Amino acid sequence: MKETPLSNCERDFLLKAIEEKKRLDGRQTYDYRTIKVTFGTDYGCCFVDLGKTRVMAQVSCEIVAPKESRPNEGIVFFNIELSPMASPTFEQGRQSELSVKLNRQLERCLRNSKCIDTESLCVVSGEKVWQIRVDVHVLNHDGNLMDASSIAAITALCHFRRPDVSTQGDEITVYSPEERDPIPLSVYHMPICVSFSFFQQGTYLLVDPCEREERVMDGLLMIAMNKHREICSIQSSGGIMLLKEQVMRCSKIASVKVSEITELVGKALENDRKARKAGEKCGFAESLPQERITALKTDKTPVEAMDVTEKVDDIIQKAEVPPLSVPSPSLPVPGVGQVGQNTWGLDEEEEEEEEGEEDRDSSGEEEEKGTKTQKEKDKDEVVELSDSEEEEVVILHPDT
Amino acid sequence: MAGLELLSDQGYRLDGRKATEVRKVQARMGVFAQADGSAYLEQGNTKALAVVYGPHEMRGSRSRTLHDRAVINCQYSMATFSTAERKRRPHGDRKSTEMSLHLKQTFEAAVMTQLYPRSQIDIYVKILQSDGGNYSVCVNAATLAVIDAGIPMRDYVCACTVGFVDETPLADLCYAEESGGVSSLALALLPRGGQIALLQMDARLHQDHLEALIEAAMIACKGVSKVLDEVVRQHLQEVSMLTAE
Amino acid sequence: MAADMRLPTIRKPVSVSTFERKDLVVPGDVITSDTGYMRGHGTYVDEEKLTASVAGEVQRVDKLICVRPLKTRFNGEVGDVVVGRVTEVQQKRWKVETNSRLDSVLLLSSVNLPGGELRRRSAEDELTMREYLQEGDLISAEVQSVFADGALSLHTRSLKYGKLGQGVLVQLSPSLIKRQKTHFHNLPCGASIILGNNGFVWLNPTPENQEEDAGGFYTSLEPVNLSDREVISRLRNCLLALAAHKVLLYDTSVLYCYESSLQHQVKDILKPEVMEEIVMLTQQKLLEQEG
Repeated sequence: MKETPLSNCERDFLLKAIEEKKRLDGRQTYDYRTIKVTFGTDYGCCFVDLGKTRVMAQVSCEIVAPKESRPNEGIVFFNIELSPMASPTFEQGRQSELSVKLNRQLERCLRNSKCIDTESLCVVSGEKVWQIRVDVHVLNHDGNLMDASSIAAITALCHFRRPDVSTQGDEITVYSPEERDPIPLSVYHMPICVSFSFFQQGTYLLVDPCEREERVMDGLLMIAMNKHREICSIQSSGGIMLLKEQVMRCSKIASVKVSEITELVGKALENDRKARKAGEKCGFAESLPQERITALKTDKTPVEAMDVTEKVDDIIQKAEVPPLSVPSPSLPVPGVGQVGQNTWGLDEEEEEEEEGEEDRDSSGEEEEKGTKTQKEKDKDEVVELSDSEEEEVVILHPDT
Repeated sequence: MAGLELLSDQGYRLDGRKATEVRKVQARMGVFAQADGSAYLEQGNTKALAVVYGPHEMRGSRSRTLHDRAVINCQYSMATFSTAERKRRPHGDRKSTEMSLHLKQTFEAAVMTQLYPRSQIDIYVKILQSDGGNYSVCVNAATLAVIDAGIPMRDYVCACTVGFVDETPLADLCYAEESGGVSSLALALLPRGGQIALLQMDARLHQDHLEALIEAAMIACKGVSKVLDEVVRQHLQEVSMLTAE
Repeated sequence: MAADMRLPTIRKPVSVSTFERKDLVVPGDVITSDTGYMRGHGTYVDEEKLTASVAGEVQRVDKLICVRPLKTRFNGEVGDVVVGRVTEVQQKRWKVETNSRLDSVLLLSSVNLPGGELRRRSAEDELTMREYLQEGDLISAEVQSVFADGALSLHTRSLKYGKLGQGVLVQLSPSLIKRQKTHFHNLPCGASIILGNNGFVWLNPTPENQEEDAGGFYTSLEPVNLSDREVISRLRNCLLALAAHKVLLYDTSVLYCYESSLQHQVKDILKPEVMEEIVMLTQQKLLEQEG
């Protein structure tokens, strides 16, 4: 589906808000959205929520023949899938520019920085090595897919356990998880991507753009770092022109953010490890929040209830006396709906009349006529605003 | 690669250059008569050919026309004989698509596309011999081709790849240095304003060294821009001499 | 048949005079910091400094500064004669490719109906547009106006414009065509030439009868005799030779070049040495004429 263009007023609004250092969701310029990391039942399955952006990563492994140029190193393969589930603008099957960009970015960030020890993945040098495959699926696109994907990928790699292998001469035995505990991968460091979006030709900068902000941005600078303050990858995209000072500033902000996120990921991994050890149920189904509407259950909010009566009397005295008569509202021809005008006055009068009739036991015709003429008079007082060329509308009154 | 010293004690690199030296740049503009603009550039042993067509009416998908500026369409390809081993490279594989995207991004920043609404500018670059710094050489060649085509640009776009070895930034990496696992940074710069059109870095580098590396890249780019300036002025002189009555 | 082959030779460096007669600038060069000047094509303002955006020579007309690039697509002005090829037939108009940055437009109301009628275009005319001009037809036209985005609006409302029949098209750079009063010339050697401002040059044998009642849509498909064909081929090669040496093209220069080339065979004209010789002779003759 083709992307619906952003309306001009929305774009102007966003840009103006950014100029005043305000964001749609109330964040500060350097704030990330809430990051939630959850794990699935299997080892190597990880879900990352970055605000509403939802990404899933799954790590799998198999034994293959190594590459000829590197006979004693394992292979790590990354793939990001952009399915139409994430956003209607993603097309199934076609390798769009965004998909190429994300894939290459993730590869550069994780592979070139050598975060995984590939030599430990070797089983028999030159013949058999482990091939680790990281598949990242984007489940919901609300901006900043790169950051979410990188967090998901590295967390999944840290969470993953591969089957244990032992070699006896020429025989290789791969133990299933029941026979021997699977062993984790040796991850040297955890590179995390931080995205900076630039607006108004580089004057304004935001961290972690949401989808709307991404649409109005001029360009993006992505810095991948680990907590040891080593930069793993920098990539600028979009047709913006940067200055060296901007890049240096971004790298400093990135180092702060990366250490925060790494801590969070570490905690999540730790929690999961404890939960599995304790034998608790863990997995995707467990971690989904129960999104039921619980009507009777409400959290008790503390309300100050001291000196309420005094406060109430105070307020009533200070308030103005409400007008007793409601000014007659201008009403279009009855039967025509209208928006924006207060018709309460007239309805109340009608209701009062009806109630009045009901109160009086099965009234005589005179009284009915009286009420009818009263209504007609009301109608005469009413100013008609309708341009409608329809025929006169006949209103069926409930009492007739 | 074990055993190869990328930077010797006396400060010489594998090909005898000093750390801040850029390889020899030779270029020629207007090599093809048919294209609107063309250029051939050699930087050391890396050779690239760039051709520009446009601005012209949007061909192909009419839906991609932009009402207020021109669309820049870049295509990067490597000849099969460009590397040490002959390798057939299918068009549209990820690496060349990524390079094409980077080139497009670089030139969108520099070319004044607002002057040509609803048109298309095509930039085709081919690497004839690859010896490191592919992206930089492409950008330099394409800049000359765009100038040859008479398409307005804010400034030259010069690019250079720098690496970091033994606490020293090395300017303009060759293939041996690039594959030696050196952290490399590619930078495309508009020299006069010092604005960075594209910044790309792979491999690990400590944050403290980033500034020095970017600085070294900018100096190298400015050096390249001087050479390109010479080439353009020389070409201008020659052609205007010919058109003189 | 023997094929002509030659090894690559080092180009002779063009002798560059030590002083720069012309003001040549490259993109990014600051032309002036004086704010009193108006900026024209090829320049932009960067922090109150007038900077060049193309590589070319600076032209100063009173307060207007513009930079003319060496090579550019055709930028049409009202009154230019162009030769173009029809690329599309749309509703009530044709799209014509004229080597400019957008395809030019030829409106149905801007052509002469066959037979020279003067009437309002009807719906039937719209449906029979393809009978007048199809995709691939070559036409000569004049620029009527320029649209806001730079596309040209052409018209063929004169008997000398219209569909072109048998002949040879030579595609050159627009900067080589000299602006003159008339672009249609009947050369004494027996061919006619149309020097389109957009760089497209059309050579055709001079028609015997100059009256064209058909109004520009009738193309004669009678066979052209050999002598005419030779003349046209020679002219085409001469044009290519002049273009390679960046000589300004107009009827006199083309004629002189033709005369200088008579001593060589037609196909030899394309050899580099012969080209140089011919062009030198032409330039000499031109200087004599002016001097």
